[in-house]
Amino acid sequence: MTEPVVSIEGLSIDYVVGAGRFRAVSDLSLDIAPGQVVGIVGETGCGKSTLAQAIPRLLPEPPATIGGGSIRFQGIDLVKVPQWKMPAIRGTGINMIFQEPLNSLNPAYRIYDQIAEAVRIRQAREAGRPVVDPRTPPPFDYAHGPRPTTGESMLRPVVPVGTEEKVRRRSLRRHPELYEDVLEYLRLVRINDPETILNLYPHELSGGMRQRVMIAMALSERPALLIADEPTSALDVTIQAQVLTLMKELIEEIRTSILFISHDLGVIAETADVLGVMYAGRLVEFGPVAEVFESPRHPYTKALLRAAPTRYKSDGPLTSIPGSVADIAHPPPGCRFHPRCPLAQSVCRSDPAPRLLGAPDREEHRSACHFADEVAKIP
Amino acid sequence: MTTPPLVEAIDLEKEFPLTRTAGDVLAGRPRRAIRAVDGVSLSILPGETVGLIGESGSGKTTLGWLIARLHDATGGALRFDGADLLALQGPALRRWRRNVQVVFQDPVGSLDPRLRVWQIVGEPIRAQGEHSRRVVRARVRELLPTVGLSPDCVDQYPHEFSGGGRQRLSLARALSVDPRLIVLDEPTSSLDVAVQAQILNRLVELQRERPVAYLLITHNVAAVRFAADRVAVMYLGRLVEVGAVRAVLETPLHPYTKALLAAVPVADARRRRTRFRIGGDVPSLIDPPPGCRFAPRCPFVIDQCRTVYPMLREIPGAPGQLVACHRAEEVRNVRPAELLSTGEAPSATPPAGV
Repeated sequence: MTEPVVSIEGLSIDYVVGAGRFRAVSDLSLDIAPGQVVGIVGETGCGKSTLAQAIPRLLPEPPATIGGGSIRFQGIDLVKVPQWKMPAIRGTGINMIFQEPLNSLNPAYRIYDQIAEAVRIRQAREAGRPVVDPRTPPPFDYAHGPRPTTGESMLRPVVPVGTEEKVRRRSLRRHPELYEDVLEYLRLVRINDPETILNLYPHELSGGMRQRVMIAMALSERPALLIADEPTSALDVTIQAQVLTLMKELIEEIRTSILFISHDLGVIAETADVLGVMYAGRLVEFGPVAEVFESPRHPYTKALLRAAPTRYKSDGPLTSIPGSVADIAHPPPGCRFHPRCPLAQSVCRSDPAPRLLGAPDREEHRSACHFADEVAKIP
Repeated sequence: MTTPPLVEAIDLEKEFPLTRTAGDVLAGRPRRAIRAVDGVSLSILPGETVGLIGESGSGKTTLGWLIARLHDATGGALRFDGADLLALQGPALRRWRRNVQVVFQDPVGSLDPRLRVWQIVGEPIRAQGEHSRRVVRARVRELLPTVGLSPDCVDQYPHEFSGGGRQRLSLARALSVDPRLIVLDEPTSSLDVAVQAQILNRLVELQRERPVAYLLITHNVAAVRFAADRVAVMYLGRLVEVGAVRAVLETPLHPYTKALLAAVPVADARRRRTRFRIGGDVPSLIDPPPGCRFAPRCPFVIDQCRTVYPMLREIPGAPGQLVACHRAEEVRNVRPAELLSTGEAPSATPPAGV
């Protein structure tokens, strides 16, 4: 048994808003093996993005707090790592691709500078050199000086005069030695004519191109784990298909572990090896992707698969899930899906919630349902 | 073919001029414009659903707005019930608006957060001249159950509803004046798949109860498959294919339709090995390529495609299905799946047999 890249045990994440406490992710356990692509699907508000951002500790804390559990990555528990040490793990350890690439790229830098920065950080870390270039002034940091009062910050610039100018001029063009590396990564993501793209700003690229640049940046740091949070949801269908094709090819070439978050079952079906289905903060089913699609063992997965419109008007109405998604502020007791579940019995309505258990013949295919065997039998 | 169309667009055009700087004027550079809708002819029959599919920037929303008279066309003709729609002005236009209502894409932005449900849903009623608060409220209470909401929520605010609930409110507002056509602009694209199924079912049921036509604008092929009777496929301001929903989705004729269908991810783990073979980005609408708009990305392109724009026409063996492609007869038997490959490296050559 190979050591998993990431091992999440009993993770719970709460949002504390005023006096309220919302458990966005509850008691979630998940392992990602080296080179494995784990897909997570679920509806809006099921906690899938919270999970994605919690692993590299990108959630704003507060309002988010990790209520319990552990995230073991390369022998350390990320839950216990103080925030200031996290930048050393992000990038070369865990990297992320977000839904909207325009928000993740810096609009003020050319593409070359942005990718070169990622390559330089990776090279510096591999060589054991300090990541911050000694030639650049340190960014202004309130931790090293008195914090200005509100009145002061309104009267004078927040960033001291002088530093601002230097930061803006700090172009990574001063790293011509990285040019070939940057070109190589742009070619890796199948960008034709990378020499031209290098000199453009993010707003000059189309959505598909920007997402390719994001993928190039993420891969150039050679992360052990790549988290892709809805990477193709903002793209048009034909462009999405191009980016998915690229990702599928890269998955085979690079063999990095990927946590792939999406609301689209089709996208997950095309990329993932293992699929997890989340509902109201809980993982309700987890197993090899083909098995989950062909013989789901949780009523929610089954309903989700059936709700996808694949028929014509004359074939009768679509099957939808009655009711609406469970409110995480007041989750129902027991199994959170029971108010909408056609198979619900009294045992489903009482705590504790069903545990994620393997199928009798297939330990890898786990589901959190008291009646998993009955669900699997329904055609 | 005996029913006269409810809406008939003939060579409809819409240009959005780009700002011209003083420098452009002095240098004598020509005026430039975005040709969002470039000569579209489409008719909608009473009580039918026409699905309009296309990617972002294809002009599908602009076409919907033109038909609802939210934009003024810059060319072509538009008839509603045989009368010239573009000539309507002032009070006559306002009275006409009860015939066509719109459900907008953004369920948050299209509902005023400071108004209560009865004010939002009743606004078209008031705009049509009914000012009695009591009558409007009563009418709204009647309407809400038809979209699956409780009549008791007339005094709530939009933020108290989920995304699906807000889209139901939008739909109730559109239904409030018994329109003959509802333009549905991406009604389900911001919704989860289960909620989407509820809304689509409701739309289809409503159409059985009352004689309303829909123009369903979306990029979601699955939604069109379920809700539409006919489909129009739009690419860069022009229609590339029009026909009955089963015909277009099962035997698409235009290479772009084939590419679009091949690109839709399917919840089937066996698709994992496939590769999408159409490269390139959607070109700009400012200087669209001459000839066929899809030529730069088309795997079946010939020289003629780059110079002459193909007209929408019927080809032998596919009655009622219009396609704008010079090579429609030759490529008609290419299945969308052939635009996917299972090989290792993507190849630029067109599939065999063409």
